[in-house]
Amino acid sequence: MSTERSGRRGENRREALRASRTQRQVGSIRPLVRKLNPVEALDQEGIEKIHKASMRLLTKPGFLILDYPSALEVFKAHGATVEGNIVKIDEATLMHYVRMAPSQFTLLARSEQNNVTIGGKHMVFAPVYGPPYVADHDTGRRQSTLKDFENFNKLSHMIPDLHHGGGTVVEPNDIGVNERHLDMVMSHIKHHTKAFMGSVTHADNAADSVTMARILYGTDAIAQNPGLLSLINVSSPMRHDDRMLSVIDVNARAKQALIMTPFTMVGATSPTSLAATIAQLNAEALISVAYAQMINPGTPCLMGSFISIVDLKSGAPTFGTGEQNLLLFAATQMARYYNLPVRTGGNFTAAQTSDYQAGYESASTFWPTVQAGTNFVLHAAGWLEGGLISGYEKFILDSESLGMMANYQRGIELDEESFALDAYDEVPPGGHFLGASHTMRHYETAFYSHRVFNMDNYEKWQAEGMQNAYKRANGIWKKMLAEYEAPALDDAKREELEAFMRWRKEQIRAGKPRTEWQG
Amino acid sequence: MADELDLRTLDDEELVEQMHDDLYDGLKEEIDEGTRILLERGWSAERVLNDALVAGMTIVGIDFRDGILFVPEVLMSANAMKAGMEVLRPILSASGVEPIGKMVIGTVKGDIHDIGKNLVAMMMEGGGFEVINLGINNDAEKFLAALEQHKPDFLGMSALLTTTMPYMKVVIDELKERGMRDDFIVLVGGAPVNEEFADAIGADAYCRDAAVAVETAKTLLAQRRAAARAQA
Ligand code: B1M
Repeated sequence: MSTERSGRRGENRREALRASRTQRQVGSIRPLVRKLNPVEALDQEGIEKIHKASMRLLTKPGFLILDYPSALEVFKAHGATVEGNIVKIDEATLMHYVRMAPSQFTLLARSEQNNVTIGGKHMVFAPVYGPPYVADHDTGRRQSTLKDFENFNKLSHMIPDLHHGGGTVVEPNDIGVNERHLDMVMSHIKHHTKAFMGSVTHADNAADSVTMARILYGTDAIAQNPGLLSLINVSSPMRHDDRMLSVIDVNARAKQALIMTPFTMVGATSPTSLAATIAQLNAEALISVAYAQMINPGTPCLMGSFISIVDLKSGAPTFGTGEQNLLLFAATQMARYYNLPVRTGGNFTAAQTSDYQAGYESASTFWPTVQAGTNFVLHAAGWLEGGLISGYEKFILDSESLGMMANYQRGIELDEESFALDAYDEVPPGGHFLGASHTMRHYETAFYSHRVFNMDNYEKWQAEGMQNAYKRANGIWKKMLAEYEAPALDDAKREELEAFMRWRKEQIRAGKPRTEWQG
Repeated sequence: MADELDLRTLDDEELVEQMHDDLYDGLKEEIDEGTRILLERGWSAERVLNDALVAGMTIVGIDFRDGILFVPEVLMSANAMKAGMEVLRPILSASGVEPIGKMVIGTVKGDIHDIGKNLVAMMMEGGGFEVINLGINNDAEKFLAALEQHKPDFLGMSALLTTTMPYMKVVIDELKERGMRDDFIVLVGGAPVNEEFADAIGADAYCRDAAVAVETAKTLLAQRRAAARAQA
């Protein structure tokens, strides 16, 4: 608050205010540590029951390893039983390895202030991952390109409640399948200064991601704290394929962090029962975590889960239902039971465009995600059509909800100042607090201030062009991209990264086997 | 109650209606029995197929499309249909009647998504097609070996990843290479696949969902057979 006179000096204040209140906080994150106790769906007895059921699944039917004999060898060498392609592992052996994974770790970001803690009460929001299409208000759905990929990274840079830059924010379909991972990692490095994810589309691509992280952060630095987080999907029920296992190998050897995500389409890849589903996904995540520890003890791992109930009338994934949210709460409880960081949830919807369904389903998944105290929330912004579309407007609209939810998890402050005693001295019963000194001390930061949603009355809204939220978000992302400035990147690092990319692309195009970069 | 009912006591018309109900209810043994009874009564296999089975599954198809039936129910119906087809198939082929058609289907190499592909396989069986489901992660060799072994009318390929979609072209190119491309109708599908892509890789059609796959298969096979007859 300023009590100085207006006038000539007041002009400066106006400029400063206009600047600070319309500008975005660019390049740095607003970290989030939850204050509230997580919502729970299971009592202690329930947790034990699920645990037992999971242990049973890992001995009967066991876990299938598809086309990757070396993993069978690893399991055998570490005390599991291998029958054909099936691994069976008892509770003691499994838990011995699970306990080797850290309960909390720091993930490096290009800008040190953007390093994020994964685990404990920390919550990290990251953008949508994986869609092969992009959509916006102007053109609808279309195949996405590298330019779209870069655009989402630029937007992430300008959204402080996105704590992490994500990975495949959208698929760059215009770049060759065998080399696009290089352009993707490079864009993350260039266009924002937050942490990012590695490629999982092939073991070589994962190895390239590790090399790029080494160039960016230094080999020693990423050996101490991971510079990459990669998304491993269990192909439920009870199965891993060669691609995912080989990517675990590469990252675990380099001690880079992994999200072990059973991907349950409840009703199709797990039974039509909540208890069975949670037991199954728990078993799948645990054996994945244990495997990474067998490769390299201490590899940071998250227990993940992607839970969607299949619409049994079409096979399509659904989102935001009560049952799904129960599973989400239970999954986070199980992870805490094992003392492991947890990834689940997001701003999910099956809707094809940013309409009422999109908003409602997203809110219905994002609230529980936040209330569950999830440590890492992938798909926190931009998700449409069950993960097939990255939506520009959805990205902006979701980022509004990130800010609101973050304030929710900051909880209720109970210190003396928060009881506003002086405000009651100043304002008599029946008065108002809008001008009280207490208000003047806090109004700027006390509450979430909307950036996208509109609180105008009908007439003002009408006079200003009757734009709904979808349309407004369209204007916002365009303005943001127009204002975007690339964060500076160390020249020597940039040159080495570019040299590495050129060298690897030549190798890939010539069809030569991958060799290690010698600098 | 179906299990208390003696199908043999029904006249032809009643029996066919009962079979439509039994298909709807996914009663495999009853369909097997009903099929055999109609044949015993001197019905041609073709007439049993069209009037009893296909007509019954058409009703199932409509109610699936309209969101009345659940996937597990359609699966049961498709299995019942399959039971009837197993009785009819040898008779149909012996009498020279053109079968409804045969499809080899699989998810391409590098890809393990199979929920959608399995739905397609199920609906195709429900439509009376014979389906050889190769499962996931199929390379060109596996597809070609199955095509040579089963000599189907259709090759169906599914891909859910932009990184594995191009593999569909590898398979089609291999078919061309071996001079086999025209022996099969190639249908492709999967969430990131679209019409434009299907055209670009030289597939015969893109199918956006399982119901469309059945319709497209029927249409293209009919066209192909008509063209073959016109040439003959
Ligand atoms: C005649 O031939 C025909 C005709 C019609 C055909 C046809 C063939 N095939 C399909 N059709 C058509 O008819 C069907 C019925 O109407 C329809 O089939 P669909 O399959 O489209 O529909 C089904 C009924 C329901 N849909 C589905 O089953 C797919 C749903 C989503 C969510 C999905 C799932 C379930 C899975 N996944 Co994956 N998965 C996604 C999917 C996103 C989405 N919304 O599609 C997608 C496709 N996955 C993706 C990814 C990235 C991955 N997945 C992976 C793994 C998995 C699971 C194994 C966990 C699981 C599959 C389980 C299984 N048994 O199939 C990994 C790859 C594994 C591999 N090697 O294949 C992994 C790489 C994970 C990772 N870490 O990054 C994304 C694609 C990325 C891209 N840009 O290409 C994705 C869009 C999700 C996302 N946003 O990340 C039609 O397309």
